[in-house]
Amino acid sequence: MRAQLKFYLVPVIILLFSMQCMAQMERERANIVEPVETFWTPTLISQATTEHLSAGNLNVTIMHSFGIATTNTIQNFFGLDNVQNVRLGLDYGITDKWTAGIGRSSLFNVVDFRTKYALVQQHTDGSKPISISIKADLGIVTQQNRQSFKDDLSTLTSAIISKKINKQVRLQLSPMYGYFSSVDTGDNNHLFSVGVGSQINLSERFAFMAEYYPVIGTQNPNTNNAFSLGLNIQTGGHVFQLFFASTRWHLEQYTIAQNREQFWAGDFRFGFNVNRIFGL
Amino acid sequence: MNKTTFISSGFLFALLIVAAPLSGLAQSYITESGHVEFDSSVPLHSFTGVSDHLVGKITLTDSIVDFYVDVNTLKTGIGKRNNDMLRTLEAQKYPFAEFYGKIVSDFKPINDHPQEVTVEGEFTVHGVSKQTTITGTLKKTQEGIHVEASWTLNMKDYNIEPPGILFYRVSEKIDVSISATLPPN
Repeated sequence: MRAQLKFYLVPVIILLFSMQCMAQMERERANIVEPVETFWTPTLISQATTEHLSAGNLNVTIMHSFGIATTNTIQNFFGLDNVQNVRLGLDYGITDKWTAGIGRSSLFNVVDFRTKYALVQQHTDGSKPISISIKADLGIVTQQNRQSFKDDLSTLTSAIISKKINKQVRLQLSPMYGYFSSVDTGDNNHLFSVGVGSQINLSERFAFMAEYYPVIGTQNPNTNNAFSLGLNIQTGGHVFQLFFASTRWHLEQYTIAQNREQFWAGDFRFGFNVNRIFGL
Repeated sequence: MNKTTFISSGFLFALLIVAAPLSGLAQSYITESGHVEFDSSVPLHSFTGVSDHLVGKITLTDSIVDFYVDVNTLKTGIGKRNNDMLRTLEAQKYPFAEFYGKIVSDFKPINDHPQEVTVEGEFTVHGVSKQTTITGTLKKTQEGIHVEASWTLNMKDYNIEPPGILFYRVSEKIDVSISATLPPN
């Protein structure tokens, strides 16, 4: 009787095994470890982020800020009649971690050269919990003036530390040092700030963002800490950023040196950035 | 039937059954590094998503064709666009694009010329499965079997919402093509 049982059992087990062989393959996720997407753009509103362009990618940016929206609101159509500053910029990903760029602001005709390098990038597997980048910017006033070239220079050096906290929230701190070779009487050549930035994703297409520039140490007379609030709109290929900002500057060293407006007192202006990335 | 004959017949029967799947295994071909491309053509926004992580298995004994790719491995050459594409495909929720079906036309593995074959089965992407018929070529090579196939999918059929760009939308058609050499298992 036992032998008879074996006679049936063995083929049944083997049959089951052979059926298993013919079944659909088990789906297995590919093990991809790569930098997480912290922010949608290399620049939040005016603060650089830890987001880097891929090697060979060119980011074309148009940054635009208008007049104060709350002054002569109707006559100036919420400030839109008074274009204050336009920065046109090109940034290129030399490697996946190293970007270099050039831009020109219409205010004082400042031409700036900048570079950013990723020291650490937060990884999808959690092995690196934060991202750290360093950034340097050299601004040159090209508007005709009575100053010599060396008095037209300004620099910005910053470390950018960011973390994607969860699917929605990203936070960033940017200790920064701004230097101006020549300043008006009473102004500082050296300025320090710890920029604070945040992006909160509302959906796959929309994200809320904010940034703040508290100046550490002596502030320039009649200036205030700059604050901006904005909305990121992600479309296929473009990221549009609509924002309200106190400052009219799109360069960090000028933002900490020259912002005279107080956002929460109602001194804010409308602005927008357009980012379009091309693969070269 | 005496005891010895009984046991011997049992072994013979078992051997036959063991041999059947083993011969089946010998005629199955597997790769984990096939090539897949997703092409979308529209002015200012043409892109190609490429992955070399296509996993595929072809079993000749039962004509089963089984392919899948983790869509998170697709790269477009632009980091930003990769993320746009993965968002569109909801890649975290639906990580696989897959095809499971059968070869319904003749394929002679002894012939080393590319042979046109038709496969019928289910193509699944974005969590939606549709019955699909795909025509491609199979070619017996020294390394195994080389497969090439391409077809067009309509995003709407798979509940994929194409991203909008300013005043127009990305083409709803996506050309998919695969190319892989599957060594014998």
